[in-house]
Amino acid sequence: MSVQHEEDVHHAADLEHGAEEGFNAGEVIIEHVSNSPLDHPILHLPHIAGIDFSVTKHVMMLWLVAAFLFLVVTMTIRRHLSQDKPIPSGFMNALEWLVQSIRDSIVLPNVGTKLVNTWTPLVLTLFLFILVCNAIGLVPIFEVLGLIDRFVLGNGHEAESLINSFLHGGTTATANYNVTAALATITFFAIIVAGTMAHGFVTHWKNLVPSGLAWPIYILLIPIEVMGMFVKPFALTMRLAANMTGGHIAILSILSLVFIFNQVFESAALGMGVGFTVALPLAVGISALEIIVVMVQAYVFTLLTSVFIGMAINVHH
Amino acid sequence: MDNPLVQPDPGLFIWTILTFLVLVWALGKFAWRPLLAALEERQRTIQKSLDDAKQAQLELKRLQEQSAEIMATARSEAQDIVAKSRASAETVREDVKRKARAEAEALVSNARQQIQQETTQALQEVRREAVDLSLAVASKLIKKNLTKEDNDNLIQESINQISTSQN
Repeated sequence: MSVQHEEDVHHAADLEHGAEEGFNAGEVIIEHVSNSPLDHPILHLPHIAGIDFSVTKHVMMLWLVAAFLFLVVTMTIRRHLSQDKPIPSGFMNALEWLVQSIRDSIVLPNVGTKLVNTWTPLVLTLFLFILVCNAIGLVPIFEVLGLIDRFVLGNGHEAESLINSFLHGGTTATANYNVTAALATITFFAIIVAGTMAHGFVTHWKNLVPSGLAWPIYILLIPIEVMGMFVKPFALTMRLAANMTGGHIAILSILSLVFIFNQVFESAALGMGVGFTVALPLAVGISALEIIVVMVQAYVFTLLTSVFIGMAINVHH
Repeated sequence: MDNPLVQPDPGLFIWTILTFLVLVWALGKFAWRPLLAALEERQRTIQKSLDDAKQAQLELKRLQEQSAEIMATARSEAQDIVAKSRASAETVREDVKRKARAEAEALVSNARQQIQQETTQALQEVRREAVDLSLAVASKLIKKNLTKEDNDNLIQESINQISTSQN
């Protein structure tokens, strides 16, 4: 259903590009995956210390996801807790299952029973935040709004409406390296905080390398471990952003076949034929695959975060 | 760095961290911590209920054993009482029997003595009657008054005769 919508929307959006200056698949795809341009933000905010704090599409997506998550999760949990009955019902069932599986199969085995309740809230929030950020990229909310705006309400392409400003850029905030780098930075500091809380500040840094080795080994080991400290969040950053970007690029490339055929053979019928026989089934298949990737990547990010936090708490050398 | 896919955007970076930290704080305070506490509380309640049930089962088993024990004691005591009362009844009966027999024996021997006495008396009377009768008969037969001496001799002789004949 949603895939069908996405399809239609991309057709509409891409047709216009094609009409203007000839179809450039690469440019179109990148525009649909990357953030909205900083010089055309949704909301202009002042520079602070040389940093542009303007609200771009990805910032807005982060806020939407955060607000959505906070409302849904908090309302569900508080309604359940206020009823004072032990058995959950409705959506609370799913939420409780999620909370318990993350607590018992992700956090508990890594962090241990003593600190499990300290770190479960962070890991839970990380998982749900990444999951919803990933998943919302598969739902063409703004494209549908744009279609309605243009074809139902009849506003022009150049109109400086709010909806038009929402149309630039991809909806998947986690496909942006800046976002995933920020999330990995959270993990980076969570590891340090976890180690410091468990062993004290100095001992945490001493725990980076095993004690009682000959000094030449330390010359080798300390740089490696310090590098490892930064490589872990870097890997998290790259894995999540690349996976999110990759899937969307694949879907968009396949959909571009419609316009490429249209342009090369100068036949709208051929373009539509390729669209319905090749591009649509393939895009549906990849979208189905994307659903799995969305969940797996959220899971991997949180699992690795738990593992790293656990390694700082239970030091094995 | 023309490609927007790899464009550094420190604003977005900082916004992400801020958004996420606020979300962690808010969800932690209003959702996760209350829920985790409730889950743990429920886990404790269930564990306690199970323990209580087990305890109750053990208690029930203990009580059943105790009641069985009490029943067994009561049964053996009842048997004891029955046996004892049977024994005492037996002794009472034996006692009564013995007394009755003794009384009966006493009665019988009394009667026997009395009979003996009466018999002796009767015999003496018969003997005296017999003497008187013989005297009368004799005097009639002889029709002669004998002397006192003859008379006494005759009487004595008759008595002796009777005694010997009786023997």
